Amino acid sequence: MRTDSDLAQVRKAAQQLHAAISDAAAKQGGAAKADIESLTQKAKAVRDSLKASVSAQDEVTKKHLNAAAAALDALQKHIAEAVKSSGRELHTSMRKTLADARASAQQVSEAIAMQRSTQSSKSHN
Amino acid sequence: MHDYVAVIFKDTENAYRGLHALWELDSDGEVTVHGSTVVHRDEFGDFQVDTKETHPGLATAVGVGLGALLGALAGPAGAAIGAAGGAGIGAAAGGVIGVTADAVRADTHHQAKDEVAFALAPGQAAVIADVSEDATAAIDTRMRELGGIVRRRSWSSVHDDAWFGDYIPNSYLYPYEYIPPGYAI
Repeated sequence: MRTDSDLAQVRKAAQQLHAAISDAAAKQGGAAKADIESLTQKAKAVRDSLKASVSAQDEVTKKHLNAAAAALDALQKHIAEAVKSSGRELHTSMRKTLADARASAQQVSEAIAMQRSTQSSKSHN
Repeated sequence: MHDYVAVIFKDTENAYRGLHALWELDSDGEVTVHGSTVVHRDEFGDFQVDTKETHPGLATAVGVGLGALLGALAGPAGAAIGAAGGAGIGAAAGGVIGVTADAVRADTHHQAKDEVAFALAPGQAAVIADVSEDATAAIDTRMRELGGIVRRRSWSSVHDDAWFGDYIPNSYLYPYEYIPPGYAI
């Protein structure tokens, strides 16, 4: 059962965000900071498109999408911290940012699973 | 159903074919894959996880988290081994992490038959994935076609294992299809 294209696009964007952050995390110091800072807008765009798709969903799906939005809020906060830090603090912020990206991708994916399951049940009834 | 699956293949090349097929099932809407990776056991008996090149600190965390997850897939007996052994993992070298724990001997515990009895012989590889599925047939059928043996453990039973501590197991699985360079799928 295919899911709606809006949610599929949000998921793809969240996956790409995780990939970009993990690539940035492989770099050191200034290079890592520059890369991570450039992802601020992308993170905001993912969050905005996610929020735009929430209203059309059922309650359980909404719960996952709201959790994903919260993770993206935290991610933006941790990016801001990373840009202002260095050394161990930078590493800690990068790690938190990556964890936030992972959590947001997981929540969107779980929202899609819920949607697919619901659609599958309806088609069998 | 929300499950962790371990699909055992004869080698890494076949495991990546399995990984690709799993994500194809996701694209087709047959299952939803929340995260996945491939582990293999080298000739010394150690577990290796292909990762992207990353900061050594992050790599260590991945190794610890996956060590714990491998233990969880072995069930309660393997769990303690996985958590303890996983904590001793060194930093990554060239994007490959050694999971030193032999976390997969599951012969001393009581588990339902359909739960994971996850054991890898040297040279073998396994796809580890966090999936949602309405039925097990899609994954079982496709993986069997590719020569894989599927084992499952429910997501809730893995997460109920208190020894995980700070390491949330699915955090260390890629939330997309990641196939390292060099594997032609």
